Amino acid sequence: MSSGNDASTQAQKRAAAQGRAQGLDIGWTVFSYLLAGMAAYGAIGWLIGRAVHVSLLFPIGMLVGLAISIGFIIYRYGGQGAMTRPSSRGNAKGDDR
Amino acid sequence: MTGDVSALASGGCHIFSGCGFPAPGLQDFEWKPLFSIGSFDFTKPMLLAILAALVVIVFFWVAFRSPKLVPRGMQNLGELAILAVRDQILRPSLGRKGDSYLPFLVSLFFFIYIMNVMELIPLLQFPVTSRIGFVWPLVFIVYFLYLYLGVKNQGAWGYLRNMVPPGVPAPIYIILVPVELLRFFVFQPFTLGVRLFGNMFAGHLLLTIFTLASWYLLSLSVGLVYAAGSFALAIFVFLLETLVTLLQAFIFTTLTATYIASSVEPAH
Repeated sequence: MSSGNDASTQAQKRAAAQGRAQGLDIGWTVFSYLLAGMAAYGAIGWLIGRAVHVSLLFPIGMLVGLAISIGFIIYRYGGQGAMTRPSSRGNAKGDDR
Repeated sequence: MTGDVSALASGGCHIFSGCGFPAPGLQDFEWKPLFSIGSFDFTKPMLLAILAALVVIVFFWVAFRSPKLVPRGMQNLGELAILAVRDQILRPSLGRKGDSYLPFLVSLFFFIYIMNVMELIPLLQFPVTSRIGFVWPLVFIVYFLYLYLGVKNQGAWGYLRNMVPPGVPAPIYIILVPVELLRFFVFQPFTLGVRLFGNMFAGHLLLTIFTLASWYLLSLSVGLVYAAGSFALAIFVFLLETLVTLLQAFIFTTLTATYIASSVEPAH
């Protein structure tokens, strides 16, 4: 009985550690996406704006980049909350001890 | 020693004595060379970095020079340290098959932790990682390994293709390429390094501000109350930093483990 409880506690600890690592990774990846989207399309907007003499294209490019990043983050990580719930964690990586 | 501290200590600079508060700033992170070899200046942060490396090497060498089946003394402590990194950092990301990266992650974690914790040790009292020049080489090592493992396991083209998840329509793919490239090669390593540097820099600055202010506000007047408040905050920041030093080493190493995992297995 107690060994069953120990195994369940160990599994819970493992699941918590996995969730923590996954959360850290996703959190900082999302932050990087937001910065990268703004920088990439801000730069493209700035270059086009410089060529056509419309300085407004720089902030517009940044906003477009931000929108692309947010859209992609929702596409890629939108369902992550449901995936990381303990009940659906059975085959998660790292559980192969 | 930096200008602020010595000015305060030697000049008896206190509130209501006509002496302005010498606020700490970037100058507190600049050190006079301990000695110079030609144009190369050897400074205190360099000495502390070497000391941190020696502490890690000597600790694990002493712990495991003659390992016993039933661990005792230092070996107990060493095993505890290794198991903590394995169970809390490595296995949640890489699973059992990632155990070959354990020596790298253990070294990385403890090297960063010892460099961070030097902020709280009297006389040393400077976090090496608050100088960003000490952080970039670590980021470079991690990123080199990340790229190398990715190319080795997935091939150069497969690695680049796997940056964008499968199932994305072709036009979206083209829109995402600049974002992905910039994220992967610029912002991800940038945030990895700057987070560690920024936290340790800010922590050291806060500690310096409240410690200096406690001394500066000390006078036989209402300043005594201010000094007590500042001292209480210095203690609070000190306790907070004991957590931050550990947490930053943990975050850096955990992210390294997840990067390695994503290189070894593209679907991660």
